Amino acid sequence: MVATVETFRCMMCGHEYQEKVEKGEDKERTCPKCRSNSIRHLKKQERTN
Amino acid sequence: MEEVSGYIGNFTVKIRKKARYVDPKLCNSCGECAKVCPVAKPDEYQMGLSTRKAIHIPFPQAVPCTYILNMDDCLGNNPIACGKCADVCEKKAISYDDRDQIVTREVGAVIVAIGLDVFDPRDVEEYGYARYENVITSMEFERLICAGGPTAGHFVRPTDHKLPRRIGFVQCVGSRNPRIGRPYCSNICCMNTIKDTLLLADHYPGVENVVFYQDIRSFGKSFEDMFQRSKEAGTRYVRGLPGDVVEDPRTRNLVVTVENTTSGKLEKHELDMLVLSVGVEPPKDLAKISKLLTLSKTSDGFLMESHPKLKPVDAPTRGVYFAGFCESPKDIKDSVCQAGAAASRAGALLNAGKIHIEALTSRIDGTVCTKCGLCAAVCPYGAIVWKKGEVASVVEAACAGCGACGATCQFGAITMRHFTDDQIIAQVRAILAENPQDKVFAFACNWCSYAGGDMAGISRIQYPASNRVVRTMCSARVAPEMVLEAFRCGAPVVLVSGCHYADCHYINANRQTVMRIQKLWDTLEKAGVRPDRLQLEWISAAEGQKFARVMQRMEELRKTVTMEEIEHGRKVLQPKPKKAAKKEAAESVAVT
Repeated sequence: MVATVETFRCMMCGHEYQEKVEKGEDKERTCPKCRSNSIRHLKKQERTN
Repeated sequence: MEEVSGYIGNFTVKIRKKARYVDPKLCNSCGECAKVCPVAKPDEYQMGLSTRKAIHIPFPQAVPCTYILNMDDCLGNNPIACGKCADVCEKKAISYDDRDQIVTREVGAVIVAIGLDVFDPRDVEEYGYARYENVITSMEFERLICAGGPTAGHFVRPTDHKLPRRIGFVQCVGSRNPRIGRPYCSNICCMNTIKDTLLLADHYPGVENVVFYQDIRSFGKSFEDMFQRSKEAGTRYVRGLPGDVVEDPRTRNLVVTVENTTSGKLEKHELDMLVLSVGVEPPKDLAKISKLLTLSKTSDGFLMESHPKLKPVDAPTRGVYFAGFCESPKDIKDSVCQAGAAASRAGALLNAGKIHIEALTSRIDGTVCTKCGLCAAVCPYGAIVWKKGEVASVVEAACAGCGACGATCQFGAITMRHFTDDQIIAQVRAILAENPQDKVFAFACNWCSYAGGDMAGISRIQYPASNRVVRTMCSARVAPEMVLEAFRCGAPVVLVSGCHYADCHYINANRQTVMRIQKLWDTLEKAGVRPDRLQLEWISAAEGQKFARVMQRMEELRKTVTMEEIEHGRKVLQPKPKKAAKKEAAESVAVT
């Protein structure tokens, strides 16, 4: 499975974090800090495998 | 099933009828062909514990109970490399020229009953399956103790073919284990193990059984009684799952190390055999079926029903029903119940001969449609028919009315009845006509978020009175233009709210919402508007508390937005003149 580490930003609290994303995954995202669902997918990414 | 087209009451299904190479009408199951077949392969039905021939009856209860030739195992038919089976067949039932056939059927309803796959315990290395011969799965146990099995029902351990005296059972192998991606309970394993211990106690009274478990789930009619009988029959239940299994190379016995969480002590058990009670998982071809029938899956990988309580056998695609494991793990009794219900639902549909379609369907104006096909691509139900270069059209019997197509069409060709663009925009303008700076503006989906607001209300949960909610059938109905219009009207903050991923009433339409909001954040940022003024939340109908919490946060966010920011947003987010309008204006200038 191709996976990349991608960056997300919570649009509610501004918390920025990275998470491994597998190609084609269908996942509801939640801010690990404030539990908001307003998660913006930032464009910068790096491949893990 | 190779291909499905059409809609409720009018499905056209293409089915691949696999070549048997033996005519079932001529074959009398005499077995002469299998006697001369030189190929021996592991018998899948016996879990590989015995062999079968290339020409064989799949299992004793097969219907029709006639032979089939597995061409993957046969020595070859082009040219014929062996041909012994055909030579001995007196009925001349064997034909090497048989080929797969594609059969087309017109059907009114489809019942999905594709069963399950069993978890492969090699993924849990600490139990030593496939490393130690005396570690077997519950499926292999079933074959070994069955009178029709490879040992004719004589339960023996694989290494010495003697009756084992101490047998261990490990529960939850591939179930309730998020570490290996199997967080769900497989439902059937506890009762299967209890049944196995009773069988052993009945057949071999001297055998000692130990069950290693984390919880025994014996709910259901007479199940608790069975559990008690198992304990009374001498089975020892140890609360704790083994951390390690090691084989004694001399005796081939297995030493199991387990922490007994009841006593808090570390125990070592020397056993003759270990049975892994393996869990179940969705069948591997589920993805193909879900694509063919536009179905969606829950987070555990099983098919999602239309409504978990009120429509447990209906698929979100109308005219499709579920029976058995494909929907969720369940035992025989529940599978039979669901199969009966699915058959009844399908029967009622076919007998009625006509259906009531949703009032809230989409309609495409062929004169405005640009034939781009984007609407067909986003429709979760496949209800929009489109071919390259042709105007799209809606199959109203298949349309559920989510409105994702209407929000996607940038040309105004799609009208969603009762939730038209004009109606929603008019609501936005009316709400924000006076003192917009004091309001938290929200779009909420009908089924979850709006109901979540109702829940907050009837639960008397306090939240700021500044919120104003516009209801849409699905969050996917919220077009970018509606959000931008709210900002143009002076909304300090806008919330788009929908169902949680697993609860989406329209299969997976809310994934369109996510994509649109991502684009809108980019648009706002480019225009110099704070993107965090637009928020996205998933609120279920039961989450009144969350609705109130979100509204509280939105109110706090609203207070951070200045009048200058609101005015700036109004100015920079004005719609750009469309090409046609520009052209028209240029022509009128030329005329004057």
